[in-house]
Amino acid sequence: MKNTFLRKLSLMLAVMMLPFGLVHAAPGYNIELEKVNNNVRDQESLQRGAVLFANYCMACHSVELIRYNRIARDIGWTDEQAIENMAFNQAKAVDYVKTRMEPGVSQDLFGIEAPDLSLLTRVKGNDYIYTFIRGYYEEEEGKWNNKVLTGTSMPNVLEGLKRHASDEAYDQATTDIVNFLDYVGEPSKVQRWDLGWKVILFLLVLLVLTYLLKREYWKDIKH
Amino acid sequence: MSEVKTIETVDIKRRQILAGATGVVGAVGAAFVAVPFVGSWQPSDKAKAAGAPVDVDIAGLQPGQMVTVNWRGKPVWVVRRTPDMLSRLTELDSVVRDPMSESSEQPAYAKNATRAIKDEFLVVVGICTHLGCSPLYRPAVNSPDMAANWRGGFFCPCHGSSFDLAGRVFRSVPAPTNLEIPPHNYLTETRIRIGEDASEGGQA
Amino acid sequence: MSEVNKKVSEPGGLLKWVDDRFPLIETWNAHVAEYYAPKNFNFWYFFGSFALLTLVIMIVSGIWLAMSYKPSADDAFVSVEYIMRDVQWGWLIRYIHTTGASAFFIVVYLHMMRALLYGSFKQPRELVWLIGMLIFVVLMAEAFMGYMLPWGQMSYWGAQVIISLFSTIPFIGPDLALWIRGDYIISDATLNRFFALHVIALPLVLVLLVFMHIVALHKVGSNNPDGTDIKKHKSPEGLPLDGVPFHPYYTVKDSFGAVMFLIFFAIIVFYFPDGGGHFIEAPNFEPADPLKTPDHIAPVWYFTPFYAILRAVPDPFLGVAAMGLSIAVLFAMPWLDRCKVRSIRYRGNSYKLLLTMLVISFIVLGVLGALPSTPLYTKLAQIFTILYFAFFIVLPFTSVNEKTKPVPERTT
Repeated sequence: MKNTFLRKLSLMLAVMMLPFGLVHAAPGYNIELEKVNNNVRDQESLQRGAVLFANYCMACHSVELIRYNRIARDIGWTDEQAIENMAFNQAKAVDYVKTRMEPGVSQDLFGIEAPDLSLLTRVKGNDYIYTFIRGYYEEEEGKWNNKVLTGTSMPNVLEGLKRHASDEAYDQATTDIVNFLDYVGEPSKVQRWDLGWKVILFLLVLLVLTYLLKREYWKDIKH
Repeated sequence: MSEVKTIETVDIKRRQILAGATGVVGAVGAAFVAVPFVGSWQPSDKAKAAGAPVDVDIAGLQPGQMVTVNWRGKPVWVVRRTPDMLSRLTELDSVVRDPMSESSEQPAYAKNATRAIKDEFLVVVGICTHLGCSPLYRPAVNSPDMAANWRGGFFCPCHGSSFDLAGRVFRSVPAPTNLEIPPHNYLTETRIRIGEDASEGGQA
Repeated sequence: MSEVNKKVSEPGGLLKWVDDRFPLIETWNAHVAEYYAPKNFNFWYFFGSFALLTLVIMIVSGIWLAMSYKPSADDAFVSVEYIMRDVQWGWLIRYIHTTGASAFFIVVYLHMMRALLYGSFKQPRELVWLIGMLIFVVLMAEAFMGYMLPWGQMSYWGAQVIISLFSTIPFIGPDLALWIRGDYIISDATLNRFFALHVIALPLVLVLLVFMHIVALHKVGSNNPDGTDIKKHKSPEGLPLDGVPFHPYYTVKDSFGAVMFLIFFAIIVFYFPDGGGHFIEAPNFEPADPLKTPDHIAPVWYFTPFYAILRAVPDPFLGVAAMGLSIAVLFAMPWLDRCKVRSIRYRGNSYKLLLTMLVISFIVLGVLGALPSTPLYTKLAQIFTILYFAFFIVLPFTSVNEKTKPVPERTT
């Protein structure tokens, strides 16, 4: 009786999940994306990523859904360190992380407003961003294009980094940037993971108790 | 009901223990569930950011002048008091209700005769302790729109409460206590941080 | 016996004071302690209580979200991220609500499936079924309006597509769509009114309908996997021999089920909150932009079967009509199925075959509705739309003289 119940339940769940597996919610891209191996629990990587982001990305881009003090709290900095490392002491700890570019400049220079990157990883996924920032190739002398987003308005800002760093260091740096953006996309992710198993464990205890209680009462009933 | 066991064969004790244990663990679970829902009423990061300390630059403040800053949505006044103004404070000790601020709100470092860290600068929350109006700044002695014998201070237009230039409430007005002094400290000689006590090593 | 089940008969003190003024004990006894439910419920019978639990979860988490959400086109998107980032525990409350939305439909679809399997919609439970179908329709409206509130790209364009459906109605269509939007495009006005409907109007209707659903069920009594009538065989005291008091037997059993459900729920909330992009769609992390349509608009998974039917029909209005009909026809189930035997256990092969076909069609349509339309997929959607409707067209004929097995007198 119990076995058939569990068998039926797992079968039903499997059948229910099948249609979800058939449909890939993520949009397809015409090229193979590189897999990024980042870890939002790695605070050192996040700190490096935050600094790289400030140096290479914040000239044009904001992540204005997050504050410096939140970043500091989550990646192991003091508020002062966050301000110093990311904003060169030009912002307050409670400020949102905004680009250093004046409004409208991006429009004039690149013909497009540089988008806010707070939720980029949630829209595009980590692999897409990883492949994109590493995806620049030189079409002709001094003219860059990108294999992920052909004709992108974004210049190849990591060109210098790539030229002067070893391959490993470049891989690490780009991974760190993606890692930071992954964190910014959902700052409470680590908290969510850490709380989840405790909740489930507690529920399992309750499950055992309710099962025993149910079995005890149902002894009354003859089938 | 032949299919239901009779009372004799049922282990009532075991049932009670199991039901009790389930109830207790379930109640603990309900308390856990309440944590995020109760906790979400705490000030959000946005509220905390808005309530963060504000810095005010007093380098350009002239003697007798007052500047208002917004701290947690409340007006905070910084008044640069002249020696004249300060000397008049002692004369008023007998006509204010709480001259030594015994029953008023202020940090320990502002519980003194001038209600300030540095005598020259008064930092005070500009909200009347009566019903929450914001009083007017009337620093001049015998200010023409004030009552006779006005010695300089703050006057609340709502119900006529008046305070001296240390925010001390006069007798026989509705406001019960002196104006509140917010936590503050001097970051430098000319920079005051409002909303934060002096941290260790800083100058208070 | 009276100690074993928790029938309250002689109260005292405060309870008596209340009971003299309010039928507390009477209600408790009638609907819980002395409500006799068949003793042979299997796991399919959990989904009704799961649905009730989900309703409570949604109402509570929804109230809390409304405390920080701002229903305006300018602020909505940012206010959702404010909940996710700045509000203490806001991320958890929001994920509970988004997960709950999908859980609601999973549970309700399985609950409806149960009714189709064991003939719970049949005489005398037609009204239970009809009220249940109304709940389903209101739930779809509630979910659609809720999905618009985050004001992301999918919120906006999903709403655009759905509201445009109304404009295909001949004569009144365009004016009707305009009236629903309250503007020439989906805008702040639309968002604001949908917020009002989502947080108060439809939840009130839902709670009322759920109440009526249960009252109607308790009037006629629960069906069971054998489809027998447990009231036919009673003990000398007049109690159904195949029934057990809902309390304590089904309260303890449903508590066990509820914890099981919560474990699955917690796994999703804490480890897969976006459900692989099905529960929260990636484009919805981009703010609504009326000038830029996403590459591929797909409704949330629970609408995709009906959306596939809509797309399968070439003519826009007929597509809308077909979609509406695919839901409306379910209301007629008690009269379309003319077989006297309730449970699939004792029914003929024709019903088993037809029901399998319906379920497969529904799932395939659900998958197709989430995929971009290509000529092949459209063809497939057309085939399965026909199969879906075939169930309802063929059933009245096959069910009249269905070769059924003998139904046992008592539950097995």
